[in-house]
Amino acid sequence: MCPKQNAASLAAKQSQLGSLSGTNTLACALTVLRETHDPAVLRTSLGSRLCLLLAEREANQERREKLAAEGVGFAETALAQGGDSDGAVHYYLATNLGLAVREHITLAMESLGRLEHEMKRALALSPGIDDGGPMRVLGMLYLKAPAWPNGIGDSDKALELLEKAVKEYPGHPLNHLFYAQALWDEDDDAVLAQVKAEFSLGEKLLAEGNWGYSKEPWQKEFDEFQQEMGEAGSARQQPFAQALK
Amino acid sequence: MRKTCFIIIACLLSPFSANGTPDSEMIVVCYPGGSVNAKDANGAMSSMLRVVERIGHWQENSFNSLFTAKTDECRKQIAQNNPKFAITSLGIFLELRAKHNLIPVVQPLIKGRTSERYRVMARKDKYKSLDELKGKTLGGTVLEEPAFVGKIVFAGKYDPASFFVLKPSNQAIRALRSLDKGELDAVIVNEQQFGGLASLHMETPFEVVFASEEIPLMGAVANSAVTTQEERARFGKALEEMCSDTEGKKLCDLFGLESFITVDSAVFEPMIKLWAEGK
Repeated sequence: MCPKQNAASLAAKQSQLGSLSGTNTLACALTVLRETHDPAVLRTSLGSRLCLLLAEREANQERREKLAAEGVGFAETALAQGGDSDGAVHYYLATNLGLAVREHITLAMESLGRLEHEMKRALALSPGIDDGGPMRVLGMLYLKAPAWPNGIGDSDKALELLEKAVKEYPGHPLNHLFYAQALWDEDDDAVLAQVKAEFSLGEKLLAEGNWGYSKEPWQKEFDEFQQEMGEAGSARQQPFAQALK
Repeated sequence: MRKTCFIIIACLLSPFSANGTPDSEMIVVCYPGGSVNAKDANGAMSSMLRVVERIGHWQENSFNSLFTAKTDECRKQIAQNNPKFAITSLGIFLELRAKHNLIPVVQPLIKGRTSERYRVMARKDKYKSLDELKGKTLGGTVLEEPAFVGKIVFAGKYDPASFFVLKPSNQAIRALRSLDKGELDAVIVNEQQFGGLASLHMETPFEVVFASEEIPLMGAVANSAVTTQEERARFGKALEEMCSDTEGKKLCDLFGLESFITVDSAVFEPMIKLWAEGK
């Protein structure tokens, strides 16, 4: 059952809808937004953000991609309604798009340029969304995308952005995890201690903070990276385990 | 928001261990000097192998891939797994061909060519010849295989390790930025990297100090001791048809491949000779 609410009332309390909100609360809010024609609401990032929050919780790939694609649609509508100067619209457009295409190699590769463009716009307009989300996601985009001359991947840019995210938004666990991953990718034993420090700090922030529904998937990311370090460390001259001592 | 960063890895996210059935045939993929990590690359390879299986009428997941960008790891994996097929660099092929009975199966066709040149780049007007670079720093991804650079790219005329101060990199763009800043004296690039130079916006212009002879592009190889002629022909034919398949074409486009073509083994004879004679 959904409470009685309209788009305007949702927009007024949109800051309360986030990773701590129940799934039913988000789904009810989305139902309302699907029906609205209120341009003041449609030009915001709210619909796109709700789709992303729900998509991230959806285990079924088909339903997840459908929600993410709907999130892209909401963001495109927001842009068409005059939301171009709102960094959050660009941010949620890019994040939803990424989620929608991530399992489809050719679509994903074709989308890299648009992802970069939208995330750069988000960074320029609203760098502070989601505790440095545009820096964090753009940094990971540069870290993981195919490198020049085949793609936009660029470790130098990734390191610069992720280091900045850690410095300017030190309270978000993923900023530390991603910076640790960028440092780890340098394949340089001289930075192992720093990798460890960033990883540990991020894990501590995750353990001690109230991250709602995000906590479990983020913890999984920490666990996977720790496993990767363990496996790769055994092949290095100076095992990661030694650096942890 | 963590999941959103998967955008980047998109297709690239399935580790090889999850792709194959227990008795699936492993294909070792060696990309020395590449900046792609194994986890990401195996996902991309997985997409390609599913297409190859379909075209070649193999059961899905008949193949899986094991990717490495490290030459030592490549040697180790080929020795341990003794794969029927591998995708290697020319340097790895030349080094391991006798020991593992490797024979070329297909070559990639890129921009109408099945060969490439390697070039040593320096800042414009700084050095006129390779000889002037003696004792200077040389960077680049190609340096992950110094024996290949010495024996094939320089045709045995220069031993990179003693002639230059080598500064290998797993990112071509990083090496080129260092060249731009004057931190490196020269960078060696392959054809693809040379072709991409125009897209970079460097402070100083670069020029070619040395260009190699035409060197054949390497594609897939087979171990002739553990594969039959029929198996090699079937695998080769599936790869040849990949870029004309609807889904396969998208992958080929992504990798800049026009197609794979059957190898004329004579093409590699001069390389084998150079390798054997090389310093």
